[in-house]
Amino acid sequence: MAIVKLQNVTYKYPLTDTPVLSNINLDVKEGEFVAIVGPNGAGKSTLCYTLAGFIPHFFKGELEGRVEVAGVELKSSALNEWVRNVGLAFQNPFNQISGAKYTVFEEIAFGLENQGVPREEMNQRVEEALTMTGIRDLADRSPYSLSGGQQQRVALTSILVMRPKVLVLDEPTSQMDPIGTREVFAVIRRMAEDGMTVIMAEHKVEWIAEFADRVVALKDGKILLQGPPSDVLTSRLLSENGFGISRYTSAARESLKMNLWPKHLHLPITLQEAVDGFGGKK
Amino acid sequence: MHERLSFYVKRDSFLHRLNPLTKLTLVFGLVFVAFFSPWYWTPQTIFLIAIIPLSFLGRVYREYFGAAFRLILPATGFLFLMQAFFQPIGTVAIFKFWFLDITAESLAFAFANASRIFVMVSSFTLLLLTTHPSDLMSDLTRRGLPSQFAYVIISTIQIIPQMQAKAQTIIAAQRSRGLDTQGSYLKRIGALVPLVGPLVFGSLVEVEERAIAIEARGFTSTRVKTSLREIPDTGLDKTIRWFFILLVIAAIAARIWL
Amino acid sequence: MKIEIKDLHFTYPGGVEALRGVSLTIEPGEQVAMVGQNGSGKTTLAKHLNGLLQPTSGSVLIGDWDTRKVAVAKLAARVGYVFQNPDEQLFSSNVGVEVAFGPRNLGYSAEKTEALVKDALALTELSDRTKTNPYDLSPTWRKMVALASIISMDSEIVIFDEPTTGQDALSIARIARVVAELKKRGRTVITITHDIDFCAENFERVIALSKGQVLLDGPANTVLGQEKILAQTYVDPPQLTRLGKRLGLKNTVRNQEEFLAALKKQ
Repeated sequence: MAIVKLQNVTYKYPLTDTPVLSNINLDVKEGEFVAIVGPNGAGKSTLCYTLAGFIPHFFKGELEGRVEVAGVELKSSALNEWVRNVGLAFQNPFNQISGAKYTVFEEIAFGLENQGVPREEMNQRVEEALTMTGIRDLADRSPYSLSGGQQQRVALTSILVMRPKVLVLDEPTSQMDPIGTREVFAVIRRMAEDGMTVIMAEHKVEWIAEFADRVVALKDGKILLQGPPSDVLTSRLLSENGFGISRYTSAARESLKMNLWPKHLHLPITLQEAVDGFGGKK
Repeated sequence: MHERLSFYVKRDSFLHRLNPLTKLTLVFGLVFVAFFSPWYWTPQTIFLIAIIPLSFLGRVYREYFGAAFRLILPATGFLFLMQAFFQPIGTVAIFKFWFLDITAESLAFAFANASRIFVMVSSFTLLLLTTHPSDLMSDLTRRGLPSQFAYVIISTIQIIPQMQAKAQTIIAAQRSRGLDTQGSYLKRIGALVPLVGPLVFGSLVEVEERAIAIEARGFTSTRVKTSLREIPDTGLDKTIRWFFILLVIAAIAARIWL
Repeated sequence: MKIEIKDLHFTYPGGVEALRGVSLTIEPGEQVAMVGQNGSGKTTLAKHLNGLLQPTSGSVLIGDWDTRKVAVAKLAARVGYVFQNPDEQLFSSNVGVEVAFGPRNLGYSAEKTEALVKDALALTELSDRTKTNPYDLSPTWRKMVALASIISMDSEIVIFDEPTTGQDALSIARIARVVAELKKRGRTVITITHDIDFCAENFERVIALSKGQVLLDGPANTVLGQEKILAQTYVDPPQLTRLGKRLGLKNTVRNQEEFLAALKKQ
């Protein structure tokens, strides 16, 4: 059952002539994890903002086509209602802290306050969310005293507590160090395993290989290719168009030419696949 | 990362326990009385009988006096000098400074004005030191203030320390490109251009991103908001508010009739 | 010119002891990567190299200049520092003017400045965008403008602070080309980076810092092979290094060439 439907979506920012998204057709099933890859400028962020409703309601501009989430159409919705269904987290964790709250606990409750949730329920849901994302120990800290990775996890928890149907993530780890990246992906994995529908724009191919059910390769605002990670991430089309590919894939491709990689085997996208392939397992 | 993004100091005190609107009324009360009262020595009296005791009642005397000496006094002192020298009131010069005549009247006027501003800034400082922006925002929103308005207040309070931090980085970056921030005054003014541009642009980007983030958390929802923290509004609060309202009326009345 | 760091200690005003006795020498023309977790001291160390931070004790010598005695603006002639966020540096309405800012501050003549700017723009593939407003460029290209702005200062030593954060593959390749060209010109290139693959593929020497001290310092092949020690400062070895180890390849490999060569040998 497709919970997200994009039909012939084309978008131009205000006062521009070139569309940033052209004829995007994309269906996402409930519980699916879709990764969006592409060079900078391909339209990944624009796509994320469109799914989250900020295009066209916040950024204005011309949006053509149909955007539907859980049966509701975007153009005829108000942004403040759309955000109940679609949660958004983006690159800079610092700018996602509301600044209106003194502790992490209150920060997470902020979204529930806005939704008018009764106090007792708020307390309960925040506790649940903190446990689920593993940041219970940060509850009494000031959001501004946290590391980037911690702040991003707080941002994710703040969205999660609102129980959206779809989670949109725009390069959530691009500003993070390796520890932060690991922590953030751990939270995202837990949310995905819990059945959340996730659409994530990301450069880090090794992580996408582990999580995604489907990869959508975007270039110049158009979908170049989409499919399972092992197909898309090993496609020649990607390396020919300036996409970043895993070094395992690239090494295996070169090895193939020298007969050092088994011909019948799919090119690897994870370390384990590479070890198995080069190591001679079938 | 900076721990505090507002002036608020977390402590337990009489002032801290007061309702945010009460404190706001108190501050406006003091400001109105300072500006409207016909008695010349009002601001100084307010400072002695209200500001100082309040700083102790709020257990923020150290922070307040720190701010007063480092920021408020120099700023109002500067204002005083500007007005004393450039405000053309009165005819008899007490003394000459270069080509400027300083009269008794202009000194008196400048002093009165500077004192009023001092009281105003001090009152708001006490408010900011003892009130968490979030509580202030929640309380005002609950009473009907549109949430966007409340948010403008909150983000303005935050913006100063944020911009400070950003400015430090920008200064470091430009110094690393050979920008001389220590030379003559003329040089220093010229040095402002490469500092202001990135600061303003960067701050605008941050403001926009934060607006998106809070929108994503339902900030502009039209539903009735609830509050996680209990913000009490006691009988004492109401009494204090009425007292200050009456005080303001009295001051205005005194001005009109005396 | 040599960089000499002698028993450097640094404590931030808030009390955090960020560097606890770092001593090392960087010879002219070396390509050095500094790695380590956030808080290990790598950025603090880098900021000592152009005088932005002053030692609490110990000394930093850039050639014959002691950083405690020479102003940051003057040290810029010898040490260029590319900050992580280009938006914290760019202020002109014109790429050309922006890139000329550094050399002009250093007091170079108009002719010399023009030549340096031209060269820097060519190096960063911005020659056809001299009159463009940097803010009309994408963040990726703004990064190149920031790079050009430092390269135009023609300093012998260039420091890159997390150059690949948020960049896509094409942009990282572009930055790698810049590093290679600087290497050809005999410049000392120092980078602080979390991107261990970028580090492995472009830098000959790796210094791993942990808790304000040097944990490892040596040729990339040696350091990057020390998985357990690197783990202390939360650094994962590069992808191909890990693969090589798992496959039991004798030598530590750090890029595709070395990996394929080692594989062939087996």
